[in-house]
Amino acid sequence: MNRILVLILFCIGTFSLQAQTSISGTVVEADTELPLPGVNIIVKNTSNGVVTDFDGNYIIDDVSVGDVLVYSYVGFLPQEITIQENQEVIDVSLEPDSEALEEVVVIGYGTQKRKDITGAVSVVSNETIEELNPIKVEQALQGTAAGVNVTSTSGAPGAGININIRGIASNSVNGPLVLIDGYKGDLSTLNPNAIESISVLKDAQAAIYGIAGANGVVLVTTKSGKRNTAPTVRYDTYVGIQETSRKLPLLNATEYALLLNESYANNGQQLPFPDVSELGRGTNFQDAVFDTSPIMSHNLSLSGGSEKVTYSFGASHLDQEGIIGAEKSDFQRSTVRFNIGVDISDEFKFTANSIYTSLNRRSINENGLGSVLFNALNIPPTFALDQEDLDGILGNEIINPLSQIENTFNDYNLNKFNGSFSLDYTPIEELTFTSRIGYSLSNSKGKDFSPIIDYGPGKVFNSVRSMVNQNRINDNSYTYDLFGTYENTFADTHHLTGTAGMTVIREWGDGLYATGYDVPNNSWDFADISLTTGTNDGLNNSAYKYDIRKLSFFGRLQYDYKGKYLVSGMLRRDASTRFGPENRVGYFPSATAGWILSEENFLEDSDVVSFLKLRGSYGILGNDEAGGAEFYRSLLNGEATYVLGGNLINGTALGRIANPASGWEEAEKTNIGLDLRLFNNKLDITVDVFREDRNDLLVAGIPVSGIFGGGAPGSGAPTINAGTTRNEGVEFAINYKQNIGEDISFGIGYNATFLRNEVTQVNGTDFLPGGQFGVGQPQPARFEEGFPIGYFYGYRTNGIFQNQEEVDAHPSQESLGAVASPGDIRFEDINGDGVINTDDRTYIGDPIPGATMGVNLNFNYKNFDFTAYTYASLGKDMVRNYERNQPNVNRHAYYLERWTGPGTSTEVPRLTTGATSNVVFSDFYVEDASYARIQNVQLGYSLPKSFLEKTGISRLRIYTSVQNLYTFTNYKGFDPAASTGEAIGGGIDYGFYPVPRIFLAGLNLNF
Amino acid sequence: MKRYNNIFNKMLLLLLVAFSFGCTEDYLDKTEEYNIDSENYFNSEEDYYNALIGVYDILQSTYVNVLLGEIASDNTVSGGESANDVIGFQQIDEMTHTPVNDNLDDVWDWNFAGIQRANYILEYQDKTDFEGRETIIAEARFLRAYFTFELLKWFGPIPIKEGDERFILGDENSVPRAPVDQVYTQIENDLQFAIENLDYTAPQVGRATKGAAMALLGKAHLYQEEFDQAADVLIELINNGPYALTDFDTLFLQEGENSIESVFEVQYTGEEGAGFGCLQCSEGNVAVGFQGIRNYSGPVFEPGFSFNLPTQETYDIFDENDIRRDLSVLDIEAWAEETGATYAEGYKHTGYFNRKYLPRKNDNVGDANLTQPNNYRAIRFADVLLMAAEALNRGGIDDSQARTYLNEVLDRAGLEPVEASGNALTEIIYEERRKELVGEGHRFFDLVRTGRAAENIEGFTAGKNEVFPIPLEEIEFSQGNWEQNPGY
Repeated sequence: MNRILVLILFCIGTFSLQAQTSISGTVVEADTELPLPGVNIIVKNTSNGVVTDFDGNYIIDDVSVGDVLVYSYVGFLPQEITIQENQEVIDVSLEPDSEALEEVVVIGYGTQKRKDITGAVSVVSNETIEELNPIKVEQALQGTAAGVNVTSTSGAPGAGININIRGIASNSVNGPLVLIDGYKGDLSTLNPNAIESISVLKDAQAAIYGIAGANGVVLVTTKSGKRNTAPTVRYDTYVGIQETSRKLPLLNATEYALLLNESYANNGQQLPFPDVSELGRGTNFQDAVFDTSPIMSHNLSLSGGSEKVTYSFGASHLDQEGIIGAEKSDFQRSTVRFNIGVDISDEFKFTANSIYTSLNRRSINENGLGSVLFNALNIPPTFALDQEDLDGILGNEIINPLSQIENTFNDYNLNKFNGSFSLDYTPIEELTFTSRIGYSLSNSKGKDFSPIIDYGPGKVFNSVRSMVNQNRINDNSYTYDLFGTYENTFADTHHLTGTAGMTVIREWGDGLYATGYDVPNNSWDFADISLTTGTNDGLNNSAYKYDIRKLSFFGRLQYDYKGKYLVSGMLRRDASTRFGPENRVGYFPSATAGWILSEENFLEDSDVVSFLKLRGSYGILGNDEAGGAEFYRSLLNGEATYVLGGNLINGTALGRIANPASGWEEAEKTNIGLDLRLFNNKLDITVDVFREDRNDLLVAGIPVSGIFGGGAPGSGAPTINAGTTRNEGVEFAINYKQNIGEDISFGIGYNATFLRNEVTQVNGTDFLPGGQFGVGQPQPARFEEGFPIGYFYGYRTNGIFQNQEEVDAHPSQESLGAVASPGDIRFEDINGDGVINTDDRTYIGDPIPGATMGVNLNFNYKNFDFTAYTYASLGKDMVRNYERNQPNVNRHAYYLERWTGPGTSTEVPRLTTGATSNVVFSDFYVEDASYARIQNVQLGYSLPKSFLEKTGISRLRIYTSVQNLYTFTNYKGFDPAASTGEAIGGGIDYGFYPVPRIFLAGLNLNF
Repeated sequence: MKRYNNIFNKMLLLLLVAFSFGCTEDYLDKTEEYNIDSENYFNSEEDYYNALIGVYDILQSTYVNVLLGEIASDNTVSGGESANDVIGFQQIDEMTHTPVNDNLDDVWDWNFAGIQRANYILEYQDKTDFEGRETIIAEARFLRAYFTFELLKWFGPIPIKEGDERFILGDENSVPRAPVDQVYTQIENDLQFAIENLDYTAPQVGRATKGAAMALLGKAHLYQEEFDQAADVLIELINNGPYALTDFDTLFLQEGENSIESVFEVQYTGEEGAGFGCLQCSEGNVAVGFQGIRNYSGPVFEPGFSFNLPTQETYDIFDENDIRRDLSVLDIEAWAEETGATYAEGYKHTGYFNRKYLPRKNDNVGDANLTQPNNYRAIRFADVLLMAAEALNRGGIDDSQARTYLNEVLDRAGLEPVEASGNALTEIIYEERRKELVGEGHRFFDLVRTGRAAENIEGFTAGKNEVFPIPLEEIEFSQGNWEQNPGY
């Protein structure tokens, strides 16, 4: 049929032969007057078309007066111009599609015009990614997408980053489902430059991904070529230097010695430093531990397309050294990718894309008792840089951080190959079938070596025997989708889209761990099991396997009437092998609705309102992830090792306690939203109000009675559907754009999320504890009904006892560890029983921010561009846990303001080496960690076109930027933004590796 | 129209393919990995043996019973780094412990884990038959009795599952704490079965024997003041068993492990690493590192965390020419003077350390504090002799035979035999029991069972501290099914 059409058109073309002429001209961008290469120009209703060249010029032949030329280019409003009598030149300037309403957004098993979307979706475009210039993809979501909270576990290169969409709902897995071009993927291995756009589905609309969609869905589309465009080569690079964004003020050697003398004297002990006059400032271990280190990135891509084929190739390399330990904590990422689309025929379209990623990472001991920064903060400034604690005055964990770095040897390498193949079959115009297989194959190997080392008596890091641990991990998955989409409009008013299909997911893999003893020459150079000679009676190797399968069927109907009233409904049936056969299947329904008021008569002609849409959604989504492959049966992977006949014998024991009754966790999501554009689309406002109830929360490792044997080695607590949480809040985003004259344009964006988080029910137990504070103290964080998830639980303080009368007037604090003396912290008698004991612990902080927001600015003047991204997180608390409670350690400088006598301090207690209850977990150790951070400031300059004309370069931009320029906060620790990501115990700070401040200079080149 | 038909057919085919592939839910059942799980095990002798190793493994975590039991007594004080170092130890030392105590929770969790692992075997004891099955079942029952007896000593009435089955989720709300005599009945039955089915020599050093079961049964009877039964089984053991007293000099050294004096011994090794994240996973004796000398540098010993420090009074109860004194309690000042060793003073420093179980120089792997290889002599022949003497004396059965057994122990200590009888003899037996077994975790329970705890242990409240509180979380898990012990 199409062939006939072409033939007819061809005939028409032949008929009008007499009046043939040709038209030439230049197409430019309206704002910048820069030429637009690759613009499609087609004679309407014909196949006659051309594309503009690098300079935006075109010539189209075989046209006649009265023909309509259509100029179109992605991201710009198409223009139609009718050829007039005697016209030979038509210059066109295309207006950018500022409304972005026609922009197509990926919503899961299909796309939708932004105008028609009825769910809460945030989109981060490649422009934003370019402006932010993140090292890792996750960073591009911070402060740019309302409702998305990004926290890094560390500032170390390549460290993990957690994403939470609309708060933390679960106590185990809270990260969203990430789909890269439709297959289940991992943001952490992607190169940011490879991304075209990121859609974040935040509400019940994600129910089309019923399985594991409960935490939200992040859909990543990688770059592909564009049809009918000449090959474009693009090269982006930057180099930079990094330094720590913060150092903590500590006591210098003299101050340290004086305070230590005081603390010994207060306990009636001999002064350790009878003479402090020669000590001076002593050693600054932080200066020695932190380095200034380089970062560098290269990114090269080639893309283009013909009428039937599109292609895009890319390669990148990133090399980042750590600001602690330099190459001992470095990160390299290399990627190669391709994306090809082929129209095999009018009915069949094939697309394929693949990404190969290779990562290398080394790391130092971080965020724990005895980690490098912990030691740098606690080692006394009276120590020399190369001095070990040979007298053992610093307890068992604190060692010289520099020798610790020096003796750290490890290496991690990941090779990952993933991508998808997709075949679209369109038997009739209205119907498309898609068959798509996404795959991911990854192999990693890790190695760490501990040399024979003696840091001093009793140190836990001492090693009398050299040892090398090696592992190989192999993770694979495929996602197979088969679905059909039927789209049609009836009677010009009823627009219907129906989608139905199925998805199969399989994830499988294995891991192998082994240890070799007695490494030749006690050296990293020889650290490989192949060279080790030692033997050991214990189990020196271990392995695991897993195989998880999921099978889903789904259907979705979308209907709109005249493009004004939009409704959709979805149903999904999922089965997951994480659950026992009886509880495998879950059904997840959802519905959305929207009303575009601006299309109604009463608003159609408004000068103020350009667009107004009300929308709502409700649905139930599932989650089967709570750590571990299966919950319903016990494997025999417990530890069973005993000594018989003088030899270690390995047997068999039960692993984690099984819970045959475990079933789907369900997220019930409700969202009401409003999209408003005012003043000719210059002002763009989106507001969402949401509530999510997470029911039958799958709680991994929920403590159960000890009678079930969970305390045995290698056993563990079961996974139980044990709670309900509620997250509710408001998201708000506002963007304003304006051009002033020809030379100036600017945009300002603000987005904010206000969130309330509460555990509404915990079954089987009163609370779940988590986190660690100090040594041998009860766990400081809790998951408990009526409180935020992971709130801090301890004693509330009420100043400092100024004198003995105050001590006597207060209930006894003896049961906290010591009888109080003047200068000690006064704890509140919460239950009023006249004695301070463990029953007086209460809520003393919340690690989840109540509000997060981003302010983003861009400003262009002629060829200069300037962007600034800032992010703020307010109303969250962190626990200061980097102070080792040992008599001889160094201290934070706030101890200069300690209590030394009546009236001297109401906040910082006295120093003593004697027994004191000042060290118990109280709000003295909980700090407000609200902060605002200038994430990125970038200034760019694009060389003028006139300058580039003869070089064949279409764009050359140079820029300089600073990442993490400054952080405004009252928090005393290294990084108020850091979190381990644990729902319970996440904000506990052992000395988080701070994010680096990075100064970059970069180049973008297109030709 | 024909064209559309064609398309319709194609679509139908496609859907057919899709659903014939998809609809087979078999796909979900094809996960082959790890098909051996807890419910399809026990198919061979080897399976039973391997599961038995799993039960023995839990014995190593009973280091906490020994360490904490000793701290609870009047023999030692808590020690450690500071008043807040392992708060659970500190509170028990002061007798101010409450239901919130991580270390008591460990005692509960770990010993119940032992019972659960033993019951796992017993639940499937009839599944597969093989020669020697009774031995494995008997050992499993001995170990169940061992863990159950420990829990009984610490907590009094405890939940026990009838019918040789494991606890399953939900039992915490329905299975009551069985009265003490019912718990004893299970212990006695298990031990009787073990006595009948085990030999005096084990197939491998470290496994339970007939003698171990007899000694433990005697002890259980003694705790119930069933002196006749206690005496019967203990005397039979003394007469027929292969045990004898050995040289006290070497008894607690590496060379003294699994000696002829050892009736039951918990086996440890330093050959596998361990970390604080899972103390119960250590193959070493964690208690030994914990009671090591703080920051010690010198000959013979390795450093440790200076917990569980013998008091001056403990040192002083020994006669000067009692060879046990300086082999049981190390006077660190004298030692430092003699050898030039250095050390640091921790919290509640007394100047004494528990020499029986001090970390000695060895090549254990890291964390060296947690992997000391010292075996715990759980039941020694000296203990058996003293228990027999006590049963004979307190039961009014035969003071002369009681003296014979007691004097064997005194003789080995280099002391003169005693002539006393009646209550005077009882007092001597009590004192000798303390001296002989100091540092081995028995003292607190001996004081409690003989009603002398309140007069000897500072802070001990009669009617309350005889047993320890059920961990608070357990009370909460049970949702009213288990009541807290009185006074807590």
